Amino acid sequence: MSATYCAPAPLDAAALARLRALDPEGRNGVLVRVLAAFETSLARTLGQLAALPDPADAAVVAGVAHTLKSSSASVGALHLASTCEELERRLRGTQAAVQRHEIERLIAVGEAALTTVRAMLRA
Amino acid sequence: MTPASTDAFDALPAQPQVLLVDDDEVNLLLTGIALRERGFRMTEASSGERALEVLRAHAPDIIVLDAIMPGLDGFATCRAIRALPGFENVPVLMLTGLDDDASITRAYQAGATDFFVKATQWSLLAGRLHYLLRASQTRLELERSKAKLARAQDLARMGSFDWRRGEHGGLLMSSEALRVFGFGPHERLSLRSLLRMVPRDERRALMRQLHDAARSSSVLATDAPIVLLDGRQRIIHVDAEPEFDEHGQAAGYTGIVQDVTDRRQAEDKIRHLANFDALTGLPNRRQLIWRAERALEQARRLEHQFALLLIDLDRFKVINDTLGHGAGDELLVEVGRRLRACVRHSDQVMEGTLESAGMRSHRALEAVGRLGGDEFVALLPEVSADADAERVAERVLEAMHEPIFVGGQECFVSASVGVAIYPRDGTTVVDLLRNADVAMYSVKSQGKNAAAIYSPHLAGRGRDKLELETALHKAIERDELVLHYQPKIDVRAARMVGAEALMRWRRGGKLVPPSDFIPLAEDTGLIVPMSEWALREAARQVHAWQQAFAFDDSVAVNLSSRLFERSDLVEHIHRCVTAVNVPHRVIQLEITENNLMKELQNVIPSLHRLNEIGVEISIDDFGTGYSSLAYLTTLPISELKIDRSFVRELGITPQSSAVVTAIIALARSLGLRVVAEGVETLRQMEVLHRLGCGVMQGFLFSRPVPPEELQTWLEQTVLPRKAPWIGRATPNELPPDAPAAAGGARLLRFV
Repeated sequence: MSATYCAPAPLDAAALARLRALDPEGRNGVLVRVLAAFETSLARTLGQLAALPDPADAAVVAGVAHTLKSSSASVGALHLASTCEELERRLRGTQAAVQRHEIERLIAVGEAALTTVRAMLRA
Repeated sequence: MTPASTDAFDALPAQPQVLLVDDDEVNLLLTGIALRERGFRMTEASSGERALEVLRAHAPDIIVLDAIMPGLDGFATCRAIRALPGFENVPVLMLTGLDDDASITRAYQAGATDFFVKATQWSLLAGRLHYLLRASQTRLELERSKAKLARAQDLARMGSFDWRRGEHGGLLMSSEALRVFGFGPHERLSLRSLLRMVPRDERRALMRQLHDAARSSSVLATDAPIVLLDGRQRIIHVDAEPEFDEHGQAAGYTGIVQDVTDRRQAEDKIRHLANFDALTGLPNRRQLIWRAERALEQARRLEHQFALLLIDLDRFKVINDTLGHGAGDELLVEVGRRLRACVRHSDQVMEGTLESAGMRSHRALEAVGRLGGDEFVALLPEVSADADAERVAERVLEAMHEPIFVGGQECFVSASVGVAIYPRDGTTVVDLLRNADVAMYSVKSQGKNAAAIYSPHLAGRGRDKLELETALHKAIERDELVLHYQPKIDVRAARMVGAEALMRWRRGGKLVPPSDFIPLAEDTGLIVPMSEWALREAARQVHAWQQAFAFDDSVAVNLSSRLFERSDLVEHIHRCVTAVNVPHRVIQLEITENNLMKELQNVIPSLHRLNEIGVEISIDDFGTGYSSLAYLTTLPISELKIDRSFVRELGITPQSSAVVTAIIALARSLGLRVVAEGVETLRQMEVLHRLGCGVMQGFLFSRPVPPEELQTWLEQTVLPRKAPWIGRATPNELPPDAPAAAGGARLLRFV
């Protein structure tokens, strides 16, 4: 359990609506497939973040933030998306090392999103 | 997946194949689903490395690449894709972040076709993909039509160029245009360096032309000679139109350059063929007339004389006939070569107007040309006196002196030259040529191998000849032709054993001698109807004599070989004799030895057929030609007539009696009759008789006389045995086996 906590928030309704629109009758299970893919990818990424050395390489963290940014935006995990975006913007082009607390904050926001998605997948 | 489209006009694929590359699984899944939903066929790759692997086996219509990826990122992947053969132009769409300007720039640098900000608005992405596919298709079509144009230009040895005015302007040439000038596609060529390829002499004129066009902003179309760096000479056609900027100011030129060397050469060749004789390479009639016309204009303007020499080879027909046309052609080529050396011959093709290169430009007209057949013309554009032309004529005659080796043997040729000088002998080319012709013919008629300058006196003769020809045409229908008859005499028996019919022309109360009209008739072909008339008339006369005094011999009619070559001769004779109800044998035909031998192969069939129907053949002027004795033994002939030249010399030169003896011996051994012609004296008669010839013809007995006089002569001279020659030759003086005596087998009976 990381030091920082972040409360889970529901996924953005508009984003979910866009996802549902791809499979209006739900025949292809698009929503579930996307959420499952997000869950797998997010869990793996969070694991990678947790395993980073301290201080971590800015380019590596920026890359992770970039990937997480677009996938979280796609499923409507907007808090995670904006967190990633901020971090990515700050890190892009800098050589500076990344402080542990920044990574932990990202992990915490990611955990919250993971919780929400898992809950939805179970439902 | 579809292979790269092969036809520029293919419609866009109904379901375009997309390769989607993104390391984000969610995005990969979502975008894949969204685009499939919109009719795309999708292949997904989760990394740049994976994408390159996929491309090894498949060619998508479009590639969508995430810019930021771990490992091989979008930019590196794009560069790698562009390096793959066949993927140079496949559209690549780079997905970037919203405010990632750096990525946008990098995307283009890496060779991406376009960028797209990652978003979840799939319709926008699908729309962009469609747009890119269409643009790519259009680009492909453009590339193809550009390649076709380049190929077409290449085939036409053509290329395009742009020339802009001003400091930043200059010459821009397409790679095809560069190739026209012998340069590679990436070389730069300035207008200055291009102009340096034009030979110095022409450069100045070309530059003036360029300046003039540029100053007036007019269309430029010109041909320029250039020398390529490898030394080859080409002719480049330049065709350019001025271009104007938005203010209407002349901005430059755009146009094409084309290598027209081959076309020019073909045109030159055509011009050469049209103006020069293919055999001798000399100017032909057309070119000669053109040059003569120009020379005449110049002579008129500058008030000097010019001369036309008409050169006709003597006896060329004989050479052609005996050695064949191939040899005749060879001879003409050699004659042409020699004639060229007689003048300051100019080979330049001339057409249009004579360029005024100074007052003496007409000198370039001087030439020898071939008018046709064996007729040549030397054109001397300026002479100061007759002597100038005469000197050239002398040179021409001398040039023929050396024998010409053709057809495996040496030939001696000579020429007859007629000269006409402007303005004295004519003021038009036609008049000058005609009068040179008149002068040339006067040379021919006076023994050939000489030159003569025209004089009006000669033209008079020419006119006479023309009149004679016209009159001769009408002679048959006007009944002006008559036959005179000279008896053939068996001297031993003092009997007439036949007669020779000789043609006379009663013209305006005068008798025209045969020597004046027979050659003309031969030349004009009138000899054919005239001979046919003679055969008809001879048959009619025989019939009349049969009625009058039981004439039972034959009348000999002289025919040229031309008649013997006619397939209807036998039929004609048949018609002539049957019309008057006399047998075929009353007609005998005489052909001269020369005539017979010259056309032997053509004449032999007729001889046989004539012989079969009973018409005998006699060889006239025997001993003067070159008979093949081998042929004589096989020819169906009945009689040899000893030429009068041998008879005249009898008793004067021993050689002539030797010849006569030989002819008689030959005739005897071949079983032929022998008749001596031109017997004028008793002495000749006696010698001939002693040598074994018993049948004779000549003034001693009777000159050729009209038919009614012949009867009178028989009645008043022969029958009463009043002539001095009668009784001089007694039967027992003849050798017992003389075939000549056989001629007398038919007796003259009087009614």
